[in-house]
Amino acid sequence: MIRKQSWFPILYMFCVTAFFSSIVIGLTRLTSEHVEGNEKLAFERAVLSVLSDVDVEAMTRLKIHSTFTEIIDESDESSEGVYTAKREGKIIAYVLPIAGRGFWAPIKGVIGIETDRKTITGIAFYEQNETPGLGAEISKAPFRNQFEGKMISSQAKPINFRRPGTTLSDNEVHAVTGATQTSNRLENIINTELKKWRDQSVKQDENSRL
Amino acid sequence: MKVAESKTQKLIIEGLWHNNPVFKQVLGICSTLAVTNLVLNTMVMCLALVFTLSLSAATVSILRNFTPRNIRMMVETLIIAFYVIIVDILLKAYWPEMSGNLGPYVGLIITNCIVMGRCEAYGNSNPPGKAFMDGLFNALGYSFVLLIIAVFRELFGMGTFLGVSVPYFSGPYWDKWIIMVMPPGAFFMLAVVVWVFRSIQLAKEDKSK
Repeated sequence: MIRKQSWFPILYMFCVTAFFSSIVIGLTRLTSEHVEGNEKLAFERAVLSVLSDVDVEAMTRLKIHSTFTEIIDESDESSEGVYTAKREGKIIAYVLPIAGRGFWAPIKGVIGIETDRKTITGIAFYEQNETPGLGAEISKAPFRNQFEGKMISSQAKPINFRRPGTTLSDNEVHAVTGATQTSNRLENIINTELKKWRDQSVKQDENSRL
Repeated sequence: MKVAESKTQKLIIEGLWHNNPVFKQVLGICSTLAVTNLVLNTMVMCLALVFTLSLSAATVSILRNFTPRNIRMMVETLIIAFYVIIVDILLKAYWPEMSGNLGPYVGLIITNCIVMGRCEAYGNSNPPGKAFMDGLFNALGYSFVLLIIAVFRELFGMGTFLGVSVPYFSGPYWDKWIIMVMPPGAFFMLAVVVWVFRSIQLAKEDKSK
């Protein structure tokens, strides 16, 4: 009988695996466009939400995508990864992507910067996996709104995180209560990218003067 | 009292109460601790588990007469992983925010001891219909305990229920218990829940003697 053969378990396992895997592969294929679309949309939503004159909350998925393609210039080598937002050919803002390690998983987001290259218009995250209720508060409005209008300072820390409750100057925001790790790491991520941005801006200024 | 119970009824009561996966078998504690700080996340996690557990127990049961004994664990893991990946794919495609919230925990259902435990203990030696019911009610037994824990953690830790602010708890008079949102809070809540339910069970057993 076939089931008594010593190779039967191998054949059996092979068939069962082939059967279930093909269903999973099929399903992945079917939904892959959706999944990619979702990821792309999350990014586009984040980029638009840091611009001061766009209201993302009121937009449908389709509208977000069309607005993004209309006003955002893809980053290239000359812009060193920075996206620029243009209306009628004029630059209205820069969008600086930021990424780094959070407490649990990578944090990825964008910072919107005005054409003066110093004033922040907003911050948004499209990928984070911090503790819900604590670190994850970074992606909520009360934390994010703090950044609007802050100035990137020329000190060692372009943006400074302070303990909640302290009074703030124009390059300081409050950290998240109970999420010291997330706050520290995020402060690091933001400042690393902003320092690069600052150095680059200085170079551009010099170039334009020449 | 127990004479009149049909077999299905017995399965239901076993899964939900007498043999509850969390407070009687003490299985699946890992996810109990991980996903119970928001009620909504917990609900989705429980639904995923109900789906996975009932269907994989039934599938294991359908294949039970063909599967060689010595590789049955491999086959079970494969079947469980199959259903979990389906849940994961569907969440990623149609509910990306939730998929992001639950992070790796959906995938970790594969290693949830309840699933493997029920497949081994029941699915392997019973017909598909019964295995399905057993899986379903064990998953529901797990879910209701998880939801109790989640409700208290979210309320005490964040002052909300399903994201909606609850009067008093979200006000200035309630100093939010941050520890409830953190993993240790789950340990405390789990211990309290197990204590309460076990005390009720023990009290009943004493009476019936």
